Amino acid sequence: MSRPALSASRVGAFAEIASIALIAAVFIVPFVSDNPAIYSLANQVLIAVTAAFSVYIMLRMNLMTFAVPTFMAIGGYTTAVLGLRLGVTDVLLLGLGSFLVPALFALPLGALVLRLTGVYFVLVTFVLTEITQLVLFETPAWTGGSNGLIGMPVVTFFGSDLGDNRAVLLVTTGLALAGALITAAVTRTLRQHFAAIEENELLAQSLGLVVWHYKAFGFAVAAGVSGLAGFALVNMLLTAHPTSFSPLSSVNYIAYAIIGGKSSMLGSVVGGALLVWAGEMFALRGEYSQLMFGFLIVVVVLAAREGVVGTVSRLLGRIGASVKSRPLDPASLPTATESQR
Amino acid sequence: MQGIVATSLIGISLGAQYALLALGFTLIFGILGVVNFAHGGFYVLGGYIAYSAISFLGMPYALAVITAALGTAALGYLFERFLLDRLIDDHLATLMLTLGLYMMISSGILITFGPQSPAFAFPLTGVLRAYGFYVPIENLVVLAVCVAGIVSIYALIYRTDFGRALRALADDRAVATAQGLRPKVLFPTAFALATGLAGLTGALVTPILSLAPHVGDPVLATSFLIVILGGLGSVGGATVAAFLVGMVEAFSAVYLGGSKGALALFVLVLIMLVVKPSGLFGQRARGA
Repeated sequence: MSRPALSASRVGAFAEIASIALIAAVFIVPFVSDNPAIYSLANQVLIAVTAAFSVYIMLRMNLMTFAVPTFMAIGGYTTAVLGLRLGVTDVLLLGLGSFLVPALFALPLGALVLRLTGVYFVLVTFVLTEITQLVLFETPAWTGGSNGLIGMPVVTFFGSDLGDNRAVLLVTTGLALAGALITAAVTRTLRQHFAAIEENELLAQSLGLVVWHYKAFGFAVAAGVSGLAGFALVNMLLTAHPTSFSPLSSVNYIAYAIIGGKSSMLGSVVGGALLVWAGEMFALRGEYSQLMFGFLIVVVVLAAREGVVGTVSRLLGRIGASVKSRPLDPASLPTATESQR
Repeated sequence: MQGIVATSLIGISLGAQYALLALGFTLIFGILGVVNFAHGGFYVLGGYIAYSAISFLGMPYALAVITAALGTAALGYLFERFLLDRLIDDHLATLMLTLGLYMMISSGILITFGPQSPAFAFPLTGVLRAYGFYVPIENLVVLAVCVAGIVSIYALIYRTDFGRALRALADDRAVATAQGLRPKVLFPTAFALATGLAGLTGALVTPILSLAPHVGDPVLATSFLIVILGGLGSVGGATVAAFLVGMVEAFSAVYLGGSKGALALFVLVLIMLVVKPSGLFGQRARGA
């Protein structure tokens, strides 16, 4: 049993390194291009990918979360309030705040909602996004209500302003990279624990795994990663507004993670990049991108359960195997731990 | 006093609409174990089918409503039979499928009809006046149709062989199948029944409230609220919860203003999900 597990872990490591490298590569963009359309696309892709990481972390534990916009809103509004009320502009402090506040918020919340699994968890997280909207509208003193928060001071990095387009993209890239590193570190370190929970939570518990420990930790980290995406979004739009965190936007983040391939981190990167790019192609007719998302979700669920990355790597593995004319190596499968239900 | 009575009437009328919607939603979950994210989509689709039937085909309103119910039922039947049925036991997969369908329905409507609300008005207008109370006639008509719909659903579920078969499948599919019931026939029919109900409600209610491609979102959220409150899969629970939610919405809109009532409801439902996931009337949490 150790060999397939080992090789699955190796494939996972490749996907994680590739994800981090791809995101880090965006740092070059501001130095080779000054096309605002490319900046805008890169910003959107990175924010989408970061938010999809959050979905990916929860899927490790077989939990499908709709709560990404909730935690994005907490992260985004935290940085807006810090900037407006307390004059905090340092990007590192703001980034830390946008990660820690949602993560800390997720702990007590997790104690309640993580008792639920399957469909009930989906429903409770969906209800959370609706509550988020209502709370944002009903607390104008803090969140600006339906006007949102505008006029945040420009973020700084050790005293230098990060206000222009180029700097905004650098901030987004930095936040996405932080999100990727955290996601990789957590899902790598706790790979076995999460896999045990995904396979059979009851069995894992009876074998001595303190399940709620790991679920709460995973939930908090996923919330923090969403918060980073929220900060990046608010920083890009220069405003924190309830419509940026609409309940049904969570569907997009789930679509990125699942269409890209839910069994590896690279899936979120590929899914986010492909779908945001494709959505941008239909930019003038935004409704077509929703039609395409819906269609792709149906196709992936019915025909290609492993998503883009899983299907491609399976095909590559098959080609590689036939070239070397030996039977299919388990290493070519996405992971050995994905439960086929 | 007059205010309270008038508000109660609005609440009952809202409750009846919600009940019709939520019954479909809860039936699908109870019998098939599917959380139907496309439910709001079928509601909007019902509205647009009725609108098109009247504006382009010149149908009378009553016939348009029936067309809408049948049209959405047919789409629901095909969707269940050819797509959903393949993965019927995988809760997350069916959830994703209905989500995909919802995105396709709402964007399809947006592409076909454009983002603006079409002029779709209820054929009967006017106000009934009795004992000093004012009641809009359209609300009464909708209420009557909704109540008739709810009664028919109850009769169908609890008084006919079809209903017994559905309840048997919901109770224990393996045993029911062994007894000769055929899920392959009954599941698509049940799904069609539920989506037809959503379409019927849409055709009835959208001329009074509003018709636009995105009006399915709040409908979906409200259906969620009601079925969680009433207990997923519970027919009686959904009916009671629907009237409860209708009342709370009516009174909070009139006396509190804003969305405080909705916020209170959502928080109530959140607590309910955590403390008693089976809802007010659900007996057991379905293995999900």
